[in-house]
Amino acid sequence: MVPISFYLILAAVMFSIGAIGVVVRRSAIVVFMCIELMLNAVNLTFVAFSKLTGNLDGQVGVFFVMVVAAAEAAVGLAIIISVFRQTKSIETTEVAELKF
Amino acid sequence: MIVLFSIMALIVVVSALGVVLNRNPVYGALCLVANLLTVAGFFAMLDAHFLAAVQIIVYAGAIMVLFLFVIMLLNFKVEPRKGKGYAIEIFTWASGFVFAAVVARVFWGALRGFRGGQAEIMAAGAPGGIEGSVKAIGKLLYTDYLFPFEASSVLLIAAIVGALMLAKRKGTSQDTLAPSKPVR
Amino acid sequence: MFSGEHNRGVTPLFIEADADMEILILLIKLFVVFNVIMGLASICTWIERKGSALIQDRIGANRAGAEFDAPKFQTDNFALKPIFFGVNMALAAGFAAFKFAGILGLVNTLVCDGVKALTKEDFVPDGVSTFVHALAPFMAVFPVFVAFAIIPLAPEFTIGEYLIRPQVASINAGILFFLAMGSIAVYGVVFAGWCGNNKFALLGSLRATAQMISYELAMGMALVAVIVTYGTLDLYEMVQRQSSFSHWGVFTQPLTFLILFVVGMAETKRGPFDLPESESELVAGYFTEYSGMKFLVFWLGEFAEIALFALILTILFFGGWHIPFVQLPENAWWAALIGHGVLMAKVMFFCVLQIVLRWTLPRFRYDQLMNLGWKMLLPLSILNLMVYAGLRLGGVL
Repeated sequence: MVPISFYLILAAVMFSIGAIGVVVRRSAIVVFMCIELMLNAVNLTFVAFSKLTGNLDGQVGVFFVMVVAAAEAAVGLAIIISVFRQTKSIETTEVAELKF
Repeated sequence: MIVLFSIMALIVVVSALGVVLNRNPVYGALCLVANLLTVAGFFAMLDAHFLAAVQIIVYAGAIMVLFLFVIMLLNFKVEPRKGKGYAIEIFTWASGFVFAAVVARVFWGALRGFRGGQAEIMAAGAPGGIEGSVKAIGKLLYTDYLFPFEASSVLLIAAIVGALMLAKRKGTSQDTLAPSKPVR
Repeated sequence: MFSGEHNRGVTPLFIEADADMEILILLIKLFVVFNVIMGLASICTWIERKGSALIQDRIGANRAGAEFDAPKFQTDNFALKPIFFGVNMALAAGFAAFKFAGILGLVNTLVCDGVKALTKEDFVPDGVSTFVHALAPFMAVFPVFVAFAIIPLAPEFTIGEYLIRPQVASINAGILFFLAMGSIAVYGVVFAGWCGNNKFALLGSLRATAQMISYELAMGMALVAVIVTYGTLDLYEMVQRQSSFSHWGVFTQPLTFLILFVVGMAETKRGPFDLPESESELVAGYFTEYSGMKFLVFWLGEFAEIALFALILTILFFGGWHIPFVQLPENAWWAALIGHGVLMAKVMFFCVLQIVLRWTLPRFRYDQLMNLGWKMLLPLSILNLMVYAGLRLGGVL
């Protein structure tokens, strides 16, 4: 039987790796993927706590987090595509100014 | 069971590091897919069967395909190495490590520090188990959480329309698939 | 992974009590299912080659293995003549059978193709990652093989004191797993096309991916209609609800069957939907740059997918292993064998149907294909779902 806290520790590690990725990486698409990583860590935490308390509300929360993540991925990728079309680059250091 | 958990946890951590450290975005996306599939396995181990299936269908099967489409179509360059100034990286890695260590210590201590029956609950979950079947979650979604459910459909429509409008090409434009020189 | 309610002698793998027997049963089930997959895929390959030949009014493969004549052994020793006669007869019979199989094209398809693929040079195009090039066939085939885990192959039967259900994994979210594996199958196509360093391959894979994810929507809606009608997600229970002939899925929900049939052919990129690998247009579509064993793996995966869809259609709509007006005793091992045979016969019918359809109908144009998926099948399947949900709410179903 795996203690529930192990899942929570794993989720924390995953979240911190994702957060590190968002700060350290310069390519917008990799930053995006690290955001998805953080969202997954949060999902894992929700489900672990749902099992801990015996309450299904945590799993319903995960469901809605997934819906929002899907919507955000679609819009974010569309933004990346438009930015790429304008400047031919998605490095965050190069599109830091608002003028093109 | 703990063996299975440790193998899957290793895969999760290694693939998460792969996403962060890989300079080629395609490999990073591949690592993220592996991560998502393993997290779906964790959901199944935590008795959230419906969520495991939805995680594979939605996250690994649709969102990551969208990511891969964009990465492959736009043909992003491999990120060049940074020439100098690694101070931000070092600081971020250090603080991330400290954060993870603090949280891990808190939850590890919770395993043993709780009084009474709390430690067992922390170890094994609520007594009576949990039923993460489609039926149970469906009941909750359509009764207690009906409004968020309907609102999320509005959100998805807004996202679809927004993505379409943002990614639309205006007038004549360069071909992003196969940029070719004009034939004269 | 296994739901706690399913304590039918196939207890969850992670309970320590009597784990050895459960692991042994599971391993035997895995072995049997793997053989079923490989057998079905190989037979489908053979039917495709010979059947396509017959449809196109040619003979097809009939040379390999058809030219061997049995050797005849002679002896002058009178005492040994009967033995030699017997041996000669046995050899003649064996070689005659082999020759018959050769004339039928079986040797060509099953033996020669495999040997050819194994011995061909396996090249990786320049400038392409070897890892992803090797990963693509794996990701194309893996979901198909794994999806066979939820498919029940025969009714339950008892051996000794164990009640065995011939389903490798009877998980809680039964048919959702099939949908999930359909979503994963897209990756093989995406990577195969991208890994070619070749515009034709990339174009083929983009078309294939767009086609697959478009038809996945209609498939999801149609499957939800099926779930609503049967009231369960587990495939075994769905077959058990079709025990009488009038309760077969094809009679209670004919439109869903039609939708799923069309969607199945589109998902496997077969039949009139084979634009991604359109042999006359795009060289070989998204697997242009694959040769040898990797190509064979893709090919095998495609035929395994045909068998998978035939199985799904049979289980959901055609009563699985139930014979129309015959009631076999429950839990008898020979009833399970007969049931399995009936299931395989129905599956063969659908495999042959898909293969004949592929060689009969001309293929769709890309915009016609997208039109069909988005503008016709998706609204139709949503309406279908609403009708069946209404019937269920009204208490009719």
